[in-house]
Amino acid sequence: MVRGLTLLALAYLLSVPGAYAQAPGEVGNAPQTEQAMAWLERLGPALNMTSYQGVFVYARGDQVHSMRIAHRFRDGRVEERLVMQDGGSGEIVRRGMNVVCVLPDQGRIRLDEVIPSGPFAEAFTSQLMPFGQWYLPELVGEDRVAGYDVVTVALTPKDEHRYSHRLWLEKSTGLLVKSHVRDVDGAVLEHFQFTSLEITDDIPDAEFEIQTRGREITRSLDIEAARQSPVGRMSGWTLNWQPEGFVPAAVPRSGKGKAVAFSDGLAAFSVFVEPVTGLKMPTGASRIGATTVYMRELSVADRPFLIAVVGEIPPGTARKVADAVSIDDEMARGWSARDH
Amino acid sequence: MDERLRETLSAMMDDEADELSVRRLLSHENQADVRDQWQRWQQVRDLMHENHGPSYGVDLAGAVREALDGQERPAPVAERARTVAVSYWRWPVAAMVVMALVVGFGAGAGWDAQPDEMTDVLASAGIDSRNPALLPSAVEEVALQRLDEQQLRQMRQYLLEHAQHNSVGAGRGSVGYARLVSASGGY
Repeated sequence: MVRGLTLLALAYLLSVPGAYAQAPGEVGNAPQTEQAMAWLERLGPALNMTSYQGVFVYARGDQVHSMRIAHRFRDGRVEERLVMQDGGSGEIVRRGMNVVCVLPDQGRIRLDEVIPSGPFAEAFTSQLMPFGQWYLPELVGEDRVAGYDVVTVALTPKDEHRYSHRLWLEKSTGLLVKSHVRDVDGAVLEHFQFTSLEITDDIPDAEFEIQTRGREITRSLDIEAARQSPVGRMSGWTLNWQPEGFVPAAVPRSGKGKAVAFSDGLAAFSVFVEPVTGLKMPTGASRIGATTVYMRELSVADRPFLIAVVGEIPPGTARKVADAVSIDDEMARGWSARDH
Repeated sequence: MDERLRETLSAMMDDEADELSVRRLLSHENQADVRDQWQRWQQVRDLMHENHGPSYGVDLAGAVREALDGQERPAPVAERARTVAVSYWRWPVAAMVVMALVVGFGAGAGWDAQPDEMTDVLASAGIDSRNPALLPSAVEEVALQRLDEQQLRQMRQYLLEHAQHNSVGAGRGSVGYARLVSASGGY
């Protein structure tokens, strides 16, 4: 915790313009880095507190999705409605902590699995992670996206364990309107972009009404539960190495709770450790855009376990993380005992 | 719009659709849907090329006119046709005209431009089972295509749970949504 605070303080120092002296006329990247950090500081609040509507496209691997979104911040409360534009007719509506999800009557997008711990969980994040320590942020230019003037921020990793990121932020609000995840050669692995956008406080109430007919599922985000257990725990296993800067991330309780998520503030990976049951999984890495899935099997006390590392990290990093998992004998024996 | 029509549209983007599918698409009762879908795919393709609009390449209206006049297609197109697989179906005049009317000339502009390059972009960003050379030699590649149904489901579950963590850990707003939908929709 102390370490985290120190890093946060460092990041803060880096981000405050004039925190260290800059001689007039001096050339170099420092001012650009400062400016980039100042922009990144705005990113988090902008995501929630800007009101906007538009359509965005997301592509990774061979998958492409587009979604229409309306997002309003009013009286301290976020209202949001997302409508799938292809592959089904689902929609998600959020009012503060209330989430209503209408499922497509058919199709591949199974939104019931997404709710409630997914998209709206960003409500749990309160601060910018100090990712300036592991990436070099630079203001690399200005552009126009979906009719808005934007600044482009490049985040180049300082080691080989991460991908580089490029963010396009709208000038007046800091809203993220486009992003790339790129590999070391500059190839774009993941692409997010608004194709149409209107930043406006004037969005009619009707835009936040459910319009699709279908089976409805309503859940409330259980913010108390999340607060009580903010950080995932590794129980029965240990991670002996992770790239510097990746710390266990606060996650809402989801799934079977066996995974632990790590984040460096920009990228994230999850580690799953499970005993091998009936299903045999292959060993090695698969990639879907910027997302790597690395799996390996490990036998402890004659009991096979599957270790899966999933994240927006290069395959080599995922393998190193998976190799660094060690399973406690006790846990292995415990599982064996349960089996017999 | 059903999955089959979407696939047809997608194939048309790459100039690989068969004639029957295109005719089915053109007779689809809701042409507004077809047009919207087409425009979205077009936008995606523009994005992939880092273009901000349909600003490049061959314009469809010209191609249709030339086809109607019985003239040769523009040289670059003919050249490209030789380099890609011969089995690709070339647009019959009637279908081109109808399609042009359906999607409008503006939306269709550029559909003949650089489909090969587009395929390359998608392939390189995609599941690189065919290109293990791109992986560090120490990492063994698992091709998703070779996984059975149960294994794919497990893989999808991992992706989904990770996406849920990710939207929290990285706090990227809409990107978080997109990853979730992508994870739940794919594998």
